[in-house]
Amino acid sequence: MKFFILAYKNLKRRKSRSFLTIGGVAVAVAVLVCLLGFNAGYQEALTSDVDKMGYQVLITAKGCPYEAATRVLKGEAGLKFIDEEIYKQITSDPDIDQITPLLTQLVYDPEKKVGKGGFNSYVGIEKSYIELKPNVKFKSGEWFSSDDANEVILGYDAAKSGQKTEKIVGDRISIPGENTNLVIVGIFERTASLEDMDFFLPLKTTQRIFEAEGKLTSIGIKLKQIEKISEFEERLYPIASIQVISMSQVKGTILNLVNSAKILIMSVAFIAIFVAIIGVINTILMSVFERTQEIGIMKAIGASKLDIFKLIWIETLIICTLGGFFGSIVAIFGGSLTEILVRKVMPYAPGGKLLLITPELLLLSFLGVIIIGIISGLYPAFKAASMRPIEVIRSGE
Amino acid sequence: MKDSAISAHKLKKVYSTAFEKIVALKEIDIEIKKGEFVTIMGPSGAGKTTFLNLVGYLDRPTSGRLDILGCNSIELKEGRLSHIRVDKIGFVFEEFFLISSLNALENVQLPLIFAKKLKNNHNPETLLKRVGLDHRLTHFPNELSGGELQRVAVARALANNPEILLADEPTGNLDTKNAQGLFDLFRELNKEEGLTIVVATHNNRLGHSTDRIIHLKDGKIEQDERLVK
Repeated sequence: MKFFILAYKNLKRRKSRSFLTIGGVAVAVAVLVCLLGFNAGYQEALTSDVDKMGYQVLITAKGCPYEAATRVLKGEAGLKFIDEEIYKQITSDPDIDQITPLLTQLVYDPEKKVGKGGFNSYVGIEKSYIELKPNVKFKSGEWFSSDDANEVILGYDAAKSGQKTEKIVGDRISIPGENTNLVIVGIFERTASLEDMDFFLPLKTTQRIFEAEGKLTSIGIKLKQIEKISEFEERLYPIASIQVISMSQVKGTILNLVNSAKILIMSVAFIAIFVAIIGVINTILMSVFERTQEIGIMKAIGASKLDIFKLIWIETLIICTLGGFFGSIVAIFGGSLTEILVRKVMPYAPGGKLLLITPELLLLSFLGVIIIGIISGLYPAFKAASMRPIEVIRSGE
Repeated sequence: MKDSAISAHKLKKVYSTAFEKIVALKEIDIEIKKGEFVTIMGPSGAGKTTFLNLVGYLDRPTSGRLDILGCNSIELKEGRLSHIRVDKIGFVFEEFFLISSLNALENVQLPLIFAKKLKNNHNPETLLKRVGLDHRLTHFPNELSGGELQRVAVARALANNPEILLADEPTGNLDTKNAQGLFDLFRELNKEEGLTIVVATHNNRLGHSTDRIIHLKDGKIEQDERLVK
């Protein structure tokens, strides 16, 4: 029988109290792991989203840059129109490697999400769109038969989710509120971005259906050299009705928003940890005071100060280690729950996995909680060690 | 002085409270030899417990000299004291003071954990057998009777093979039969192992079954009575 067993037996003696304290630590650890994991995951997902867009520069109608940035990533690319003339005008710019015009329209579909309703995004594109996007590939079917055919290509999820039956090539769909029937000619493979939810139509068809002839909502551009972006921007500056958004700018803008949320989130996590520490100290201190007599007895039968210190300290460590362990498990299995929650709350949530719980992160949190345990055990252990055996004997008289 | 177990000279202990000073021991001289079985008797507040606490290194004297097994306890530091306490002295209390989360066997093993040595010790199971509790090894304190609890406490006090056994009112919570049984056990240990035993008690009859009775009253020795068997 060693100190460890002795400490364990004492914790077992007051099961519900020990259990609750361990629970408190576990919650704090789970929150910490989820939040840190979320941070890492969000940044990674956002970067991958932006990279997947294929274009480094987007031209939209003038407006609030934050709103524009969010809309760009959501695939709603500036719902104000810009003139198609501008597209023709800048196509010849020497710095442009690839360029593609886009016309995005949102339509409310009451049938979406199995009757719950939601917005569908219809994107008018030209062939240059798939040339610009390296990871857009056909899962089945092929490109539109003509420039203004009544045909549609579905994103991977648009074909699959939110509907009673999966759509296949050859099916017909209609845009809610419009009279046009569209034939599905192709379905894209999964890109793990929000474009998986989109409906792609030929640009001219989209302009016709939505009565937006000669209009675009955005222009995607890939430059020959990204370093030349400021010169490029300068040249476009005289065109009053447009703004140039670089994707790195978008990324920065969103990360800025997320960062301020992050500070708030982290303070919540630290409060949780702080409360947990106080809980641990309180529990151990209470059990020390309850056991004044017992500690005195141990001293009377030969326990040194160090022995008592060790004993109480090990108790604290057991609580924190178990709390850390269960907290990690909760974080691993409950993390997806957080992700669902975050997706609802955040203004823009990238596709892919938001929560990135790595072994390193778990290990770090685990070590952290043990260090916390070591620190929070110090005071009660010291308190117990400095009790004098004589006080017990007197209290027994 | 080689055979001296406890040697007190002008031993004084004063307890200070906020309102008054209580002199628990008034410069007493006591000499107890190795292998003696001694009773300290006297009314409440006579200084019995104080004397045992000083001898057991649970408390420090105010003045005077106290040699335990040839070591002057006044000069020793706290760490060294707990070392001697664990090594040389066994303590038995009126309230038994067993650890309730540990069973009989584990309670007896406890001093061995603190002593951090396994040689030269009694085997805990043998000890429990010795005090007649071999059928109660895995019982917890709340499953044992008063007499059995005190026997476990005695076994625990003996775990480190001490030279002196101190017992403060060990029969205070026991009935007559169990009290007699405990003193019989003390007598046995004293005879067979040569253990020096100092017992504080109120019980006149039990006191007279030992070798010597030191009567304390108001912190002074009233009478030092050697019993002839």
